[in-house]
Amino acid sequence: MAIIETPNGFNLDDSGRRIVVDPVTRIEGHMRCEVNLDEDNFIRNAVSTGTMWRGLEVILKDRDPRDAWAFVQRICGVCTGTHALTSVRAVEDALNIDIPENANSIRNIMQLSLQVHDHLVHFYHLHALDWVNPVNALKADPRATSELQQKVSPSHAKSSPGYFRDIQTRIRRFIESGQLGPFKNGYWTNPAYLLPPEADLMALTHYLEALDFQKEIMTVRTIFGGKDTHPNWLVGGVPCAIDMDSPGAPINMERLNYVRSITERTIQFVKNVYVPDVIAIGGFYKSWLYGGGLASQNVMSYGDIPDRANDYSTENLMMPRGAIINGNLDEVHEIDLRDPDEIQEFVPHSWYKYPDGAKGLHPWDGITEAQYELGPNLIGTKTNIERIDEGGKYSWIKAPRWKGHAMEVGPLARYIIGYAKGDEYITDQINSTLRALDVPLPALFSTLGRTAARALESQWAAEKQLYFLDKLIANIKNGDSSTANTEKFDPSTWPSEIKGMGFTEAPRGALGHWIKIKDTKIENYQCVVPTTWNGSPRDAEGNIGAFEASLLDTKVEVPEEPVEILRTLHSFDPCLACSTHVMSPDGEELANVKVR
Amino acid sequence: MSDVSKTKQEAVYVYQAPIRIWHWVQAFAILALGITGYLIGSPPPSLGGEASDYYLFGWIRYIHFVAAYITVIGFVFRIYWAFVGNSHAREIFLPPVWRPRFWVGVWHEILWYAMLVKEPRKYEGHNPLAVLAMHFMYVWGITFMIITGFSMYGESTGFGTWQHTYFTTWVNPLFGQSQDVHTWHHIGMWVIIVFVMIHVYVAVREDIMSRQSIISSMISGWRQFKDDRPADKD
Amino acid sequence: MHETFYDVMRRQGITRRSFLKYCSLAAGALGLSPAFAPQIAHAMENKPRIPVLWLHGLECTCCSESFIRSAHPLAKDVILSMISLDYDNVIMAAAGEAAQAIIEETIEKYDGNFILAVEGNAPLGEDGMYCITAGKPFVDELTRVSQHAKAIISWGSCASWGCVQAARPNPTRATPTHKIPGIADKPIIKVPGCPPISEVMTAVITYMLTFEKLPELDNQGRPKMFYSQRIHDKCYRRGHFDAGQFVEKFDDEGAKKGYCLYKVGCKGPTTYNACSTIRWNGGLSFPIQAGHPCIGCSEDGFWDKGGFYERLSDIKGFGIEANADEIGKTAALIVGGAVAVHAGASVIKRIASKGDDA
Repeated sequence: MAIIETPNGFNLDDSGRRIVVDPVTRIEGHMRCEVNLDEDNFIRNAVSTGTMWRGLEVILKDRDPRDAWAFVQRICGVCTGTHALTSVRAVEDALNIDIPENANSIRNIMQLSLQVHDHLVHFYHLHALDWVNPVNALKADPRATSELQQKVSPSHAKSSPGYFRDIQTRIRRFIESGQLGPFKNGYWTNPAYLLPPEADLMALTHYLEALDFQKEIMTVRTIFGGKDTHPNWLVGGVPCAIDMDSPGAPINMERLNYVRSITERTIQFVKNVYVPDVIAIGGFYKSWLYGGGLASQNVMSYGDIPDRANDYSTENLMMPRGAIINGNLDEVHEIDLRDPDEIQEFVPHSWYKYPDGAKGLHPWDGITEAQYELGPNLIGTKTNIERIDEGGKYSWIKAPRWKGHAMEVGPLARYIIGYAKGDEYITDQINSTLRALDVPLPALFSTLGRTAARALESQWAAEKQLYFLDKLIANIKNGDSSTANTEKFDPSTWPSEIKGMGFTEAPRGALGHWIKIKDTKIENYQCVVPTTWNGSPRDAEGNIGAFEASLLDTKVEVPEEPVEILRTLHSFDPCLACSTHVMSPDGEELANVKVR
Repeated sequence: MSDVSKTKQEAVYVYQAPIRIWHWVQAFAILALGITGYLIGSPPPSLGGEASDYYLFGWIRYIHFVAAYITVIGFVFRIYWAFVGNSHAREIFLPPVWRPRFWVGVWHEILWYAMLVKEPRKYEGHNPLAVLAMHFMYVWGITFMIITGFSMYGESTGFGTWQHTYFTTWVNPLFGQSQDVHTWHHIGMWVIIVFVMIHVYVAVREDIMSRQSIISSMISGWRQFKDDRPADKD
Repeated sequence: MHETFYDVMRRQGITRRSFLKYCSLAAGALGLSPAFAPQIAHAMENKPRIPVLWLHGLECTCCSESFIRSAHPLAKDVILSMISLDYDNVIMAAAGEAAQAIIEETIEKYDGNFILAVEGNAPLGEDGMYCITAGKPFVDELTRVSQHAKAIISWGSCASWGCVQAARPNPTRATPTHKIPGIADKPIIKVPGCPPISEVMTAVITYMLTFEKLPELDNQGRPKMFYSQRIHDKCYRRGHFDAGQFVEKFDDEGAKKGYCLYKVGCKGPTTYNACSTIRWNGGLSFPIQAGHPCIGCSEDGFWDKGGFYERLSDIKGFGIEANADEIGKTAALIVGGAVAVHAGASVIKRIASKGDDA
């Protein structure tokens, strides 16, 4: 193949040296990435492959729609709960169920706490080692580290030289034991790591602090949902009844105080640790502004966090909603998730088949049938892939498109849309971050932009968590302690054929579930998830998805140690179990899954 | 027994006293088990107030367990009596399925119930179809209920108890998990309920229409015959 | 100098004196005489951390997420001081070939002396290519690594039973660890739950390190200490169950009073797990305490036992799907009808035959 230009404006050249990263680690699920480098080690072609699928939509067929949340929640344990929330919204939409105001507040608190938790764990435990070198931290002077800490974040209490010395000693013992555990075989001598030892030590210390603290963030979900990971949800509201004067009610003053305490600590941690760390690390890497890809062109967000219950209009959603195409920030398009012509999924390069191969299908009419076959230029065998052929089918991920466009979704997309719409909070955050780093607006459209947007959004989410807690308490004070609408909980009250859709903004981006219910059972269930958008393979026209686009034109310093590839892929926080949950394995199912 | 057919019109002592007592104790135990078992699966409406004021569901379960133990002890006794009692006491445990005559008898009974023959045969004990029904529905049905029942009871008595060791440990994995054992035990209840319905109906019907007494036999122990022709053998 | 178990205990404020006492208690628990205590102390002071290869198949990573939520010990301390988590694709720095090399190195260096932790399960369909690692079927990697492990931990319901991807109709033929053809004949510890409780996960690990043996397992391979009682047996709402006080529907008076969730489908009575004793997230709560019925997530095949909000399970087959009561009532109705018809016919026949006789 010579150089080809994709319809969405990227040049692909697969003539150079091929590098394979499989498994891509520090993500949820299984993924493979192949790139071609030119003579100067710049990436000129990128191929991302989802390497797992589980068939959840097939499993959901004929089940009780009230149970669906539990099944789809198991699509992903990292963004745990967001699929469940999307599912109960879809079922409520189909059944026209209005949930109580308190249920809306509690769901929002749970969803927002997920945003913060997911972003924090992603940054420190999945992403940080792309920027931070733990071995280099051993060279740091604890005193200088303390000074750096106090400069970066004066309000963070844990900043004494002794504290950093203790951590350093512990890490030294760990590394000198020769048993490096998770740090084993990292690229610790790679010149792509740019932090001075003090910054490495500070970040590594926060890696450990965040590991301790993340388990606190999620406890609000244990209060409302009984456990975490995978808390419990309910069609019609939330399962945790409220009675401030009963000794037996799941939610009482003590429980609400617990939530408040955790929420306040979360706000502090994000403000004093997470955001300052991202800005500090970003400061050392601001010359490394690769990885923009689709971000500067096509981004989309469904919006989320309804202020008042049951109103999913753009105005009532506190997370921005809309789509930007061709990089035109002056125009944010409205999106309609029910319109059969807007969102469509394609499979020419996915291991699935449609009766009409090139056509896209709206999720309500989605057909899914597995077809594991590899392109003619594959190197290797069916069960031993050495080099994948992106000319053929090459991924368990489908290719969703909005009005034919490949879109990037996620925190950066949300922030770009919020910025374009003039959202005051978001605009302030973006402007002050750009100022702090002394970089222009286009710097936002990058790997670092994605990472920064996640941190800024965590701050927003943590504060909004408090907003909804206050709202919940005010509503209880006004005499409304209702948490569930069970009017239509009994399936015998349901019409025989209905359909609905629910959406959220998952930590990784726009998430939608489409359901059809027939005779009280699920007839068809389709999910289009963030990593399906971002990790999508090529479509019939040859448009590439966000992962592939973002890798292009990045320089890989040491081709044998492609840390730059990890950096950019990780900036999307890929969730492969999410993106590849779909489909039926045999032609039998096709007739059943197919929706008329 | 062979003498009996010679003295045609005379009554025969079929059900010895322990069998009769067992039968009626069993009947009441099954009634209690059925009612409480149904309620355990579909509890009565919730009571209000404080937990310490009531023990309703506890009693329902307690009655179930007491009735269950009575059934188990009765069943064990019934097996014992099969060895020491008269020949009729063994009938339902050992249907002579290897004898063609037995199957001819079964077929005749089917025809009789289908009202295709004018007259039933005459038996001292159970007729062959009844032997078959009692054997599979009662003997095996109760065995199934006892095993699954003890498996679930062992879950309450806990690790290390004999119920748990001898039942729960192997029954749960055999069925899949505890919930499956509950489900099949519940199905077992319905099988027995349906069997009891048929049993009672047929007993009444045959008491009226067959050539021998049925219900009164289980009270007095004596089988009366309504005609003088010889009795059939299985 | 690596940090040993002893160092961790010291750092957590345990004195040498109580450390030695702990060692003699440990000796007792192992059935050894107190004379062995110094040996145990020596081992704990010097023992290198045991390598763990944590492989991921078809899963949702909820087990890893649960693991990092452990309050005691902290996940940080487990990773830095108790085990050597050399391979775990969710948190390891290395990727691609550098990651895969760790597996080879561990097999070579610690053959028979490392722990294989499995999260998720392997699909057998499509030659295993529903889950691909390094271009090859995950199932091949799993069976190969298992040959060299000392013991296998099956984390969560996926590895223990199959869980959601193995729910009917199991499109990928997802198979739990112990049922995979070719898996090595090594001890397998099942730690079911979706996910397992964080502190249960870390307790299973620390038990093995502390007592230097596998925890005692029940006949289905689960540690007795956490899985030999039902949630129901220790449920704080048990009093309401015995009283007959139930939540009839969500958010009713019973729900606000914390009544028993049995009638809205709670699977606590049939679920073996430690939720009602250890509870979740540092003992904070558990599903029933937060008002939702237990869905039975640590039980084999819990996805296929009918609706989560139904008391009685559905039975599937012969083209029908109904619970025991529905089946039973229908059968009783049919038989009752048949009896009535038969009785009617019998009466007619009797009258007719009496007429003949006359």
